Amino acid sequence: MKISVRRQNLRRVAVLVGALGLAAPLLAQVQQARQAAAPAAQAPAGGGQIGNEKSFPEIASGKWTGPRLADGQPDVQGHWSNTISNHSNFTDPNLGAPGDRRRGELPPREQRAPSRVSDPADGQVPFQPWAAEKVKEFQQYFANPIKPEYIEPLARCAPGGVPKSFYWHGYEIRQYPGYVVLLFNSGTRIIHLDGKPHLPENIKLWNADSRGHWEGNTLVVDVTNNNGKALFGRTGEFSSENVHVTERYIFDNSNKRYNYVATFTDPTVYTRPFTVTIPAKRWTADDKPNGWHFETNLANHDGKEKILERDERICTENNGGFGNTAVTAKK
Amino acid sequence: MKNTETSSAPDALPRRRALGASLLLAAGLIASPLLGGEVLAAETAVSGKIPRLANGKPDFSGIWQTTSAADYDLEPHSNRRDAPPGPGIVEGNFIPYLPAALEQKKKNFANRETADPAAKGFALGVPRTVYYPEPFQIFQRKQDVTVVPQFGHAVRTIHTNGSKHPAGEAKEYWLGDSRGHWEGDTLVVDVTDFNDETWLDRAGNFHSEAFHVVERWKYIDPNTIEYKATLEDPKVYSKPWNISVILHRHREKNFQLIEDYRFTLDYDQYYPPKKP
Repeated sequence: MKISVRRQNLRRVAVLVGALGLAAPLLAQVQQARQAAAPAAQAPAGGGQIGNEKSFPEIASGKWTGPRLADGQPDVQGHWSNTISNHSNFTDPNLGAPGDRRRGELPPREQRAPSRVSDPADGQVPFQPWAAEKVKEFQQYFANPIKPEYIEPLARCAPGGVPKSFYWHGYEIRQYPGYVVLLFNSGTRIIHLDGKPHLPENIKLWNADSRGHWEGNTLVVDVTNNNGKALFGRTGEFSSENVHVTERYIFDNSNKRYNYVATFTDPTVYTRPFTVTIPAKRWTADDKPNGWHFETNLANHDGKEKILERDERICTENNGGFGNTAVTAKK
Repeated sequence: MKNTETSSAPDALPRRRALGASLLLAAGLIASPLLGGEVLAAETAVSGKIPRLANGKPDFSGIWQTTSAADYDLEPHSNRRDAPPGPGIVEGNFIPYLPAALEQKKKNFANRETADPAAKGFALGVPRTVYYPEPFQIFQRKQDVTVVPQFGHAVRTIHTNGSKHPAGEAKEYWLGDSRGHWEGDTLVVDVTDFNDETWLDRAGNFHSEAFHVVERWKYIDPNTIEYKATLEDPKVYSKPWNISVILHRHREKNFQLIEDYRFTLDYDQYYPPKKP
């Protein structure tokens, strides 16, 4: 019988707990964070499989001339991903996570990909002083998380939330009358297009509560009820549960790219609103799955058409960090 | 829970079934006198115009939930401290466990408070998602049916594009691999490629990785789905058995799913950073 990933990890933690006499919950968390750190740290800086655009085209909001669904929505269904690194670093995406040893081998800042903060112009989140201190503290202890709050929540299988889900692994967009559904590697967002009111404001969610509508080529989404817990990446930037986000998904009429442009407002954490811009590209059946931005299988069927399928996404069940799938081949 | 306990069971059927075999099983279901009668009765009982996709197939889009006590225990049970009483949803009342598996079920029941995967916030799997006492939402296109449960994050896709189970070695998914086809207005779904981690309810009823489920989804009226399933697992049960449950459409004004990532509650308190 196979030994599942979950059992292996539990066993390893148990041995450590016994040897060191440490409190199990904290140790398990630290253990997860360390295990999880390895693959993600290698992926972006290694180039190759992870897209590392140094710049990207601006896309103007305007008319949609591409395909439409029967209900009139622009048809943007399919598999998409970010094109620059991942969640390791929010404002300097190529730099890697705090403590990444390869930092010294990188070109100077102006030759690296731009900050995801597109406004203000300095590329920094306009934190209030206390919040800036908290971010600094998180980065200082990221590689040595002596307290639970220094563990990036995604390493504990928490949903990626807003906006981190968009620069984590690739994801799928499915559309239905009244809905746009985003299936991320860790978490799911249902964007309601029917104009119903937001949830009562005391309900706070990892993926927040989304109300959207289409303006030509642009999906405009009002995002509230965010619990603020997901953090923006391994560099620890954050919002509070008071954050209000206005997202604009601006699709190019080629239907091959879109830019995610979102304004974050939270008077309890920031000194002013700021804007996040994340470029995205489409993946198709002609692309090869690459283990990060594009993770799909081809359907088994009698026809010749290549049909993409997506494995279930499972994480906490395996006691392993990040969006592991539970799939293991039988012996 | 596992196979040391059930190793005396006969060998599993070949894991990689051709879709044809599944269709035969589904066909067998219809032919069985009991079920056949019920299906016919239900078909004549359909009232009102059911929603349909552009291709004419029934459209199950909506938010659904059972009112049954099935998730507490699929079998008939009296009340107990952690469960209301319920008549059960198993045809013939009891699950035909093999002797060793029945012993394992009893152990599961005794340890249910902590051993139930749902108590940890884990994926409910198939068929438990359908009768767990929280709503789930169905999104439907011609080529697939997407099931998003409120509880947990495990999104299930039922493929209705004529594709088959994955070729090659069997996979071990929490949700299984779901391939559906239409028999009249009934969506028949063949589900294979399971792992052995999920439970069927919080009473400890369980299955192995040889689990095979055939579901039948059909409208009774525009706001009610009759859900039936045949559950088969030669390592755990002596014969296939059937369950049946009714699903009601949520029609409250502005009703929506509210994500329930129960497993994050253990570390919820640590985020986000607080102002000193």
